[in-house]
Amino acid sequence: MITLLHVSKSYSNKNQVLRDANIYIKAGEFVSLVGQSGAGKPTLVKLLIGEERADEGQVVVGDWDITNLNRHEIPYLRRQIGVIFQDFKLLPKKTLKENVAFALEVCGASRGKINKIVPSVLKIVGLEDKANRYPHEVSGGEQQRAAIARSLVHQPRILLADEPTGNLDAINADEIIDLLLRINKFGTTVILVTHNKEIVNRLNRRVITMDRGRVVSDLAHGKYLL
Amino acid sequence: MLSFLRIIKFSLQDIARNIWLSIVTITILLLALLSINTMLTVQTVSDNAVNAVKEKIDISLYLNADASENNITALRSKIEAMPEVKSIVYTSKQTALESFRSKYRDNPEILQALRELGSNPLSPSLAITPSNFDETTNLVNSLRQIDSDIIESRDFSDNTAVVNKIQSITKRVSEVGLVIIFIFVLTSLLVVYNSIRVAVYTHKREIEIMRLVGASNYFIYMPFMFSAFIYAVISVSLMISIFYPFLTLFQPYLEVFLAGYNVNLVTYFVNNFWPIFGAQFGIILFITLVASFFAVRKYARG
Repeated sequence: MITLLHVSKSYSNKNQVLRDANIYIKAGEFVSLVGQSGAGKPTLVKLLIGEERADEGQVVVGDWDITNLNRHEIPYLRRQIGVIFQDFKLLPKKTLKENVAFALEVCGASRGKINKIVPSVLKIVGLEDKANRYPHEVSGGEQQRAAIARSLVHQPRILLADEPTGNLDAINADEIIDLLLRINKFGTTVILVTHNKEIVNRLNRRVITMDRGRVVSDLAHGKYLL
Repeated sequence: MLSFLRIIKFSLQDIARNIWLSIVTITILLLALLSINTMLTVQTVSDNAVNAVKEKIDISLYLNADASENNITALRSKIEAMPEVKSIVYTSKQTALESFRSKYRDNPEILQALRELGSNPLSPSLAITPSNFDETTNLVNSLRQIDSDIIESRDFSDNTAVVNKIQSITKRVSEVGLVIIFIFVLTSLLVVYNSIRVAVYTHKREIEIMRLVGASNYFIYMPFMFSAFIYAVISVSLMISIFYPFLTLFQPYLEVFLAGYNVNLVTYFVNNFWPIFGAQFGIILFITLVASFFAVRKYARG
């Protein structure tokens, strides 16, 4: 599903953020990507969504080699990879429902398709009764669920969660992780980028550990090592 | 079609939901247009005033009182044939007297003095208007070279001074006016450019999210381009609706100030509506589109 072969990336001569990284993730896996600050996790996320290009090596998503992705191809890649972030990235002047629908509208989906998909993804994340509220009217956990709902509208094969629980309390964080596990059960590959030790240990799933741009550990039922 | 309608919806929704920012942006565009049009008005008034003064310039040849009609007609034809001459008006002795009486009808002392003279002391004359103001000097030189017995006197000296003075003023007004208009237009356009960039900057997050969810460039750029179009339409329409009443109110004061000269600003702006406001709309639209494009591109890259 996702292959990184000998991938290196640097922003300057002295700032090499990825060094010969090799990662292979199978379809339907739930993988935690952990590491301290400066490990190269955000750069890896940027490479996977086409925001950055690798200096060396090869990045493949599905059967699509995105190493030298053309700018015009980026939107199509991003419709295949759902992404959620720590800060939710919701539009404050749109309701939760409008935020979710927005992802389909800007891709030219028909009104009929939008009316069919939006309620169903809101139901998956348990927000059907808060669909018409604005982001500031709901909790952080609910905002993150709305962001997850938005990431699901294109029925992505991969869901990339970049520190999704970073702004949430323990209860809300657990709920989000449970939701990600449920989405993974439907067959979506989930990559969880986090530095939350408790969550990683509780999951008992595959853990890839990075340190200073290198993959230092890759365990099928791993723990947070650092 | 669906995409285009959605872009219009996004754009209108955005303008309405950020109504204060939209109002501020339109106000800045409006102020820029008003300053440009104010400068244009000042330039138009000065051009019209100078032209009106130029129109009033004529050169007179005073003829002998006993000059025969045949000789006068021959001289008139000769002068009319000159390329520098626009028109020539002959004033007979009798017409000059009637005109004089009419002019001083409220001054009994002058009329009494005229009666005491017993005869008409005024000479017939030819008033010559130059075809082009700049040709006045050449015309005066040509008229000086005419050798005719019926010419009693030539009234050139004052005109030369006036001509030189007006030419100097016209040149200065044109130069200063152009520089001021250029500075005004440039400043206004920079302000407009910047305000559009600020307006787009406030949508930085929205653009980021659009990219994130896989929006095509068409969907990222077009709503902002359409908003730029809406801003241009509204600001130019408002400008027109404010400017014409202002001109109508200003016109009576202008007529008092330029008494005796036919300067009508409303007519000027009505007759030149499309060249003036069409060009302004085009320029404002171009600037807002360019500013929007570069501002969006800054956040849409990646």
